[in-house]
Amino acid sequence: MSTPTITTVAEPAAQRAPDEKSRRPRRKVGQERTSWGATILLLLAAVTVIVPLYVTVMMSLKTDAQAVDGNAFSLPLPLDFSTFARAWELTDFPRAFGVSVFVSAVAVAGTVILSALASYAIVRNWSHRLFRWSFFYLLAAMFLPFPVVALAQIKMTGTVGLDNPLGVAFLHIMFQMSFSILLFTAFLRSLPEELEESARLDGATTGQTFWRLVFPLLAPMSATVAIFAFLASWNDFMMPSLITSDPALQTLPVVQSLFQDQFTANYNVAFASYLMAMAPAIVVYLFTQRWVLSGVTQGAIK
Amino acid sequence: MTASPHFLNRPVSRRAVLGGLGALGVTGLLAGCAPSGGRTDITFFMSKTEVLEHFTELISEFNSSQSNVRVILDSSSNIAATFVRGNPPDIACFTYNLEMARFMERGALSDLSDVSIASQIRPEVQELVDQYATYPGRTSVIPWSVTAAAVIYNQDIFEEQGLEVPRTWTEFTEVCEALVAAGITPIYGTYRDPWTIAQGHFDYTVGGSFDTAEFFEKMKEQGPQVGIDSSVSFQKDFFEPMERMVQLNEWSNQNAASRGYGEGNFAMGAGEAAMYMQGPWALTEIEKTAPDARLGNFPLPMTDDPDDLRVRVNLDLALWIPEESQKKDAAREFLEFLTKPEVQDTYNQQFLAFGTRQDAPPQEDPRVAELQSFYDEGRFYQGPSKAIPLTIPAEGYIQAMMTGSSIEGTLRTMDNDWRRLAVRS
Repeated sequence: MSTPTITTVAEPAAQRAPDEKSRRPRRKVGQERTSWGATILLLLAAVTVIVPLYVTVMMSLKTDAQAVDGNAFSLPLPLDFSTFARAWELTDFPRAFGVSVFVSAVAVAGTVILSALASYAIVRNWSHRLFRWSFFYLLAAMFLPFPVVALAQIKMTGTVGLDNPLGVAFLHIMFQMSFSILLFTAFLRSLPEELEESARLDGATTGQTFWRLVFPLLAPMSATVAIFAFLASWNDFMMPSLITSDPALQTLPVVQSLFQDQFTANYNVAFASYLMAMAPAIVVYLFTQRWVLSGVTQGAIK
Repeated sequence: MTASPHFLNRPVSRRAVLGGLGALGVTGLLAGCAPSGGRTDITFFMSKTEVLEHFTELISEFNSSQSNVRVILDSSSNIAATFVRGNPPDIACFTYNLEMARFMERGALSDLSDVSIASQIRPEVQELVDQYATYPGRTSVIPWSVTAAAVIYNQDIFEEQGLEVPRTWTEFTEVCEALVAAGITPIYGTYRDPWTIAQGHFDYTVGGSFDTAEFFEKMKEQGPQVGIDSSVSFQKDFFEPMERMVQLNEWSNQNAASRGYGEGNFAMGAGEAAMYMQGPWALTEIEKTAPDARLGNFPLPMTDDPDDLRVRVNLDLALWIPEESQKKDAAREFLEFLTKPEVQDTYNQQFLAFGTRQDAPPQEDPRVAELQSFYDEGRFYQGPSKAIPLTIPAEGYIQAMMTGSSIEGTLRTMDNDWRRLAVRS
């Protein structure tokens, strides 16, 4: 930036530089040029989140008649809060929510731990044919969609008494394994083996090496794997609906399907229920966004 | 990598993790067991969303009326999965269709010929069950509620324009032309939802033209021979009705291809069109925005003989008890409760359906009362679109014809699909 106030040409550049540096931020406050391109992009990105959220909130406060009048954006006046009570009652919300949390928690924990263990064994024994082929075997499961094996799974889970949320969680772990192992093995190959050798020199067993050294080092990839596993199990509809036999132990997405079928639509009650399902995640994010964001940048700097 | 000190300081983490898993698992298993208090618990499957509340009330009425059986409502299970697993519901009140008939055909449903209602069911209605499949020597399915679908029309518009309900195809075309001349959209189409064309335009034009039950009977016999040379085929028998179906486009709203079921209901409530090819389920949806709309029903005429008029019916709800149920007696007790005239008739009256007993009272709601005489005289047919196995994507084909595909080519594809399916199974 030019500084027209300084006229002395003879002034040494070295002397001027720090002077200008200290002044520059002060002078720019409030006068910065707005980057319109970036602002518009960010606005568009914000709209993609805000508009559906707006519709969700508005719809959940509408009466039955307002909900089907073909105008999703209209303001719901008078406000109708009874939709939340109806949704809560119809879905038996706390129970369905609890089952969903249980399934997701088991699926995430199981996927991360089992995949990490398997990947460690495979990568460090790559020279053995058994481990190499088991890697390909596990990867092959990626080409196996659930609907293909659904009938057999329903029959088998029924036979061994796993036709409940625990069985659903186990199956989620199984279907999530191959992709997670792919991620973990790629990451493990980039970890220096010398670290493990030094642990061995200090007398660590294979188990200790894994739990105290390798698993913590895998943390960034574990987070990725956990996010994928969480999304897959939290949002899944088909598997719980087919596997769980006791309707009282059904997950949230399955229970929520009762709001809409071919012939009728209760958008207002449905959206009230969706909002309640979303609320915990939003509330947690509001209070923890500082840590979430700091976690993101921390990874970036390293 | 903030997690590393945490794990390094806690060598027992593995045990903690596994312990936690185990505890969670036990919680899940325990939740499955509930004390039944000396009563027999039976699972009752009923998944029709709009009548859930009504059934919840019926169940609590039944549960408090006696102390032997406790009914537990299941509205979210996948019915096929329960049969595969070997723990189907003890009793179900469920839409009866071709997919459900497969279970009956293979003897998965127990014989109910000795329950008290069995002898009172109208033979024409019981015949609807047999059109899909039968199991020798058994009455496996008790029809409980029948819905009749036809052309919903706006009575105010018809009166203002001085129009009579058409009884022949010629009269129908005249009504449509008169409405067009008056600047009113005659028919509201919602082609974005393929099922609305299949159960409306397609079923009405085919079902109004000839005996569809007989047609599908022959199609089943011909099976692998279906094609250009067979005695019956989609190409041969459906061509004329399909031409008429596509002709309905002329009198429909211009934007029908981009309109869905929800928009159609709203438009009919707002009086934007005179006619709507939907069943009674649409009436309750229209009621949400237009509680005072004066609507009526008439069967779509396909010939020039008023005696050929027939309405489309479907077994909206039918009762059955699976062979595998361990508590058939308790289930039958609940079945007897549901088939009490006052329980059954109240439901049918309230939800615009028709009774299945010979002495069932007539439907009084003016919106569907016009269909009563057709139903009483047995002038009805089951939707032909429902007689085509889901393996053949008929709804998609029908939508394609409606929006411009060649009728001849599409029907030939349907014949080919039918033949391939017959060869395969």
